[in-house]
Amino acid sequence: MALNRDKTRNFCIIAHIDHGKSTLADRLLEQTGTLKGKQLQEQTLDSMDLERERGITIKSHPIRMDYDSPGRGVHTLNLIDTPGHVDFHYEVSRSLAACEGALLVVDAVQGVQAQTINNLYLAMEHDLTIIPVINKIDLQAARVDYVMEQFIDLIGCDPDEILLVSGKTGAGVDELLEAVIDQVPAPTGDPDLPPRGLIFDCIFDPYVGAVAYVRLFQGTVQKGEKIKLFGNEKQFEVGEIGWFRLDRIAQKDLSAGEVGYIATGAKDVRDVRVGDTVTLVENPCDGPLEGYVEAKPMVFSGMYPTDNDQYDDLFEALQKLQMNDAALTWEKETSAALGFGFRCGFLGLLHMEIIQERLEREYDLNLIATLPNVEYEILLKDGSVELCENPALLPDVKYIEEIREPIVRAAVITPKEYVGAVIRISLERRGVQTKMEYLDTERVNIEFDLPLNELVVDYYDKLKSVTKGYASLDYEYTRNQADDLVRLDILINGDMVDAMTCIVHRDNAYSWGLKLCQKLKELIPRQMFVVAIQAAVGTRVLARTTVKAFRKNVTAKCYGGDISRKRKLLEKQKEGKKRMKQVGSVEIPQEAFLAVLKVER
Amino acid sequence: MGIYIHVPFCGSICSYCHFARTAEHGASLRARYVDAVLAEMELRRQSCAVIADRRRPLHTCYLGGGTPSELEPEQMQRMLAGVLDGLPLADDFELTAEANPESLSASVANAWREAGIDRISLGVQSLQPDVLQLLGRQCDPATARAGLDLACRSFERVSADWIIGPGLRRATLLDELSEAADRGVEHFSVYILEVHPGTSLERRVQRGQVRLLPDRQTEELYLAVVEHLASLGIAQYEVANFARPGAESRHNRNYWPHRPWLGLGPGAHGYWGRRRYGNHDDLQQWLAAVESGGLPESAVDPLNRPAIRLERLILALRTKKGVPVERLPAGALDIARGQEEGLWTVSADRLILTSLGFLRIDTIEERLAGLTL
Repeated sequence: MALNRDKTRNFCIIAHIDHGKSTLADRLLEQTGTLKGKQLQEQTLDSMDLERERGITIKSHPIRMDYDSPGRGVHTLNLIDTPGHVDFHYEVSRSLAACEGALLVVDAVQGVQAQTINNLYLAMEHDLTIIPVINKIDLQAARVDYVMEQFIDLIGCDPDEILLVSGKTGAGVDELLEAVIDQVPAPTGDPDLPPRGLIFDCIFDPYVGAVAYVRLFQGTVQKGEKIKLFGNEKQFEVGEIGWFRLDRIAQKDLSAGEVGYIATGAKDVRDVRVGDTVTLVENPCDGPLEGYVEAKPMVFSGMYPTDNDQYDDLFEALQKLQMNDAALTWEKETSAALGFGFRCGFLGLLHMEIIQERLEREYDLNLIATLPNVEYEILLKDGSVELCENPALLPDVKYIEEIREPIVRAAVITPKEYVGAVIRISLERRGVQTKMEYLDTERVNIEFDLPLNELVVDYYDKLKSVTKGYASLDYEYTRNQADDLVRLDILINGDMVDAMTCIVHRDNAYSWGLKLCQKLKELIPRQMFVVAIQAAVGTRVLARTTVKAFRKNVTAKCYGGDISRKRKLLEKQKEGKKRMKQVGSVEIPQEAFLAVLKVER
Repeated sequence: MGIYIHVPFCGSICSYCHFARTAEHGASLRARYVDAVLAEMELRRQSCAVIADRRRPLHTCYLGGGTPSELEPEQMQRMLAGVLDGLPLADDFELTAEANPESLSASVANAWREAGIDRISLGVQSLQPDVLQLLGRQCDPATARAGLDLACRSFERVSADWIIGPGLRRATLLDELSEAADRGVEHFSVYILEVHPGTSLERRVQRGQVRLLPDRQTEELYLAVVEHLASLGIAQYEVANFARPGAESRHNRNYWPHRPWLGLGPGAHGYWGRRRYGNHDDLQQWLAAVESGGLPESAVDPLNRPAIRLERLILALRTKKGVPVERLPAGALDIARGQEEGLWTVSADRLILTSLGFLRIDTIEERLAGLTL
C-alpha cells in the first residue's frame, strides 16, 4: 500500500506522570476504531504489569491508527506513546525526534508540573507543533480556567487553541483527532533517496531478535535488504518489516514519513542502539541524523541474592533483562559482607526500582540492594583519573588528589507555601539555589545545583514528604565537580561491612556516622553476643554503638506437643531469616543495608 | 517406648495453666473418662500392632494433667490395669503420676502403690503463701509440706515442681529447695513462669494486676537455683530438670532422644511412626470421638526427615548431653566466643550448653534452625 504522505501524521503525547496519558491513548485507539471492545483494557499500550500497576510507561509503544475524518477521508495517524519519566529522558527525546507534533497533556486538577515543562522544552527543541490539551475535565476538582492560564503563560497560545478532553469519558476526543490533522504537519522526505531512519526504541523478541522501532525520514527500506547502523557500523538483514497495531503487522517495505519496525536478527539489543541512524549497505545516505548519544548509567547499586544459591539465577535474570534494556549495565562484584553479586548501573532511581522489582517479581529472587550511589571521578596524585562506582573500592586517601562527583540541575515546582521547606532540604543536601520564579500566583519553580549522590539517596522521598506530595522534580546532569569527600566505613564487631560504605562530605562525616550507628542499632536485632557497631573514616573511629546480647530467652517446658510447636515456630522464623544476611557471626536484616535512607538529617 | 496418659481433672484452675483441664467433674464423668482411655488404648492397639511387640518393651508410663490425684483410686487402678494389660514391661519400668499436695492422701498413696505407681511428681511450685496465691494454687504452705512428707514416706522416688515467678526472694526459694531435698525429693522440675494466651494470668498481667519478674532477676534466680541444687548433689540434666545421679526421669529420657511414645487422653500428644499426633484438647470432643470409635486426634504433624533432624538437634541441645559438634551446621555458632562468654562448653567433641546458655536457648535454636532447614 503506497503511503499517502499528505494524509499521514506522526505525533506523541507528552505529560507529567499520572496526568492520564495512557488513558487518553486508549480513547484515541477506541475512537479511531483501531481497537475494539475486548482488545482494549486499561492502559492498553502499557504491556508490562508493572507499567499498569504503577500507571507509568516504561517502553515506547507506537501504534498506527486509521482515522476517517468526516469529509476529509482516511488519515494514517502514528501515535508514539513515550515514557514520561525523567530517567528515560533520552528515550523521550528520541521519540520526539520521530514526530512532527506533540499533544502536551496537563491534568486539569494538578496543573503544570516539572515534567510538563521539561518535556515541553524538549518538544520545542525538536521543533514540534504543540497542541495544548487539558485532560480529566470530568473530575469535580478540575480547575480548567486556572490550567488554561498556566498554558497561556507557558506557551503563549490563545485560549481557544487549548483542547479540553477527558480520557475517561471520551469527551473532546473527536476534536482532538481533528486538531491533530489540522495542526500537525504531514511528514516530508523523498522516498526515492537513499534511506535514512531514526531508531527510537528497540525491543528483543526471542523469535526474530532485536526489533528496531524506526521513523524513516527519507528513502524506502524493503524486507530482505541489507541495512547498516551508523553508530556501530553493524550490518543486518531485514528479516521482517512493517508497522504497528497492538502487534506488529508485517509489510513489504517502509518509506519516508512512516513509523514502523525492522527486525534485525541481532542477538543483543545493545547492537541496536536507541538514537542511531539506519540506512542501506548498498545505497547509504550521506550521514547519520543528529543527536545520537550513548545512554549512560547515572545511578549504581550492588545487587546480591540473600540466598547465595540464587546467584546463578540472578545472573541469568540480569542477562535476560538486559536483552530488552540496553541502558541496564552490570558487572560481577564480590562483597565481603554479601558474597557474590553484581554492581548494576541504571539511568536513574525509577529505572533502578523497576529493575529491582522485576527481578524479584518476574524472576522470584530475594535480593539485597546496597545504597544507591553515583560514579565518582578520582584524580590521583600521579595525575591519572579513575572512575569509581563502588564506594568500597575508592583508592586509599593517600593516593587521591581530588574526588569529583556528578552535579545535576534539579528543578522543583512546588506550591508556594512549601518553598521554605524545599530550600531547607535542598541546602541540607549541599544544594545551591540557582533560580526561583513564580509560575503563577500559586506555584514556584526553584532550581538547584545538587550533587546527584544526595539526590539519589533520599531527596525525592524527602521532597514528597515535606510538600505533602505536591512538589514535582526533574533533573538533568550538568557536570562533575570536586568537593571535600571522604569514605565512611561501617564496622560490625570489627569487620568492615563493605556494602554499607558510603561517600560523604567531610563536614557531615561525624554526624552522619553517629546517626548511622544509632539507626543500625535500632535495625539490628539482639543476638547471642554483644554486637559493636562503629563508623570510621580511615582508621579514625567517629562513632560507636552496641546492640546488647539477648537476655532470658528460653522456652522452659518442651514436652509433647510443645516440640511440634517449637519446631514450627523455628521453621517460620527461618522464613524471616531469609531476609537476613550473615556478616561474621552477626545476622543483619536487609533494611540495615539501606539504613542511610532512614537517617534523619 | 513410653506411654503418656493425660488426666484432665482439677480441683481448681491455676492461673498460668494452658493444658487441657476442667474443674467441673463428677464421679460418673470420671468413670466415663476411664472407659474412654481404655477404649482409646484399644483403638491404638488396633491401629498399631507393634505396641505389644516384645522387642519394644515399655520403659515408662506417665500420668500427667490436670491432676491425676483427682481420680478415685479404684478408677486409677482400673485404668492402669487396662492400659498396661499385655504389654511387655522393661526391667527398669517406671510408672510416674503427678499429684497435688492437697489431693494426695495416705489412702490414695496406698492405692497408687498397689496399682504399680512407683514415682510421684508433686506439684508444689512454691512454699510462699503469696506466691501460691498468685499462681492460683489451692494449697497453703503447710499442706504442701505435709504432701511432700507423705509422698516421700510412701514412694521411693519423688520429684517436685517449682516455679520461678513474681514475688520470689532468692534466699527463700533456695531454702525451700533445700528443705524439699531434705525431706527426700530426689528430682526437681523448675520452670520459669510463662504467660500463655487465654489464661487468667495473662489477663491479670494485661490489666497490670501482676507484674512479672524482670528478665534480669529471672536469670539470677535461675542461675542461683542451678548452682544451689548442684551444691546439694542434684545436678541439672535438662533446661528445667534436676536430679540426683540415677534419679533422672525415664519419661523425659524417653522422648527427648525421640523414642516413640503413645499419648492417651484429651490434649495428649503421641509420637509414633514418624508422626506426631495431638488429641482433642476439649474433654467432650475427645470423649465423643473415642466413643464413636474413631481416633480422637485433632492434629497430626507428619514429620519429614529435616523436621526430625531439627527436632533431634533442639531436643539434644536442651540436655546436658549436648550435641556432637560435627552435627552443628557449619559456621552456625562462634564456638570460641561462646566458650569465652560462658554460653557453652565443648567436651569430648560435644557442645554442651551451660545454664547461662540454656537461658538463651531460643536464640541459639533459631540460629541453628536458620541454617539447618
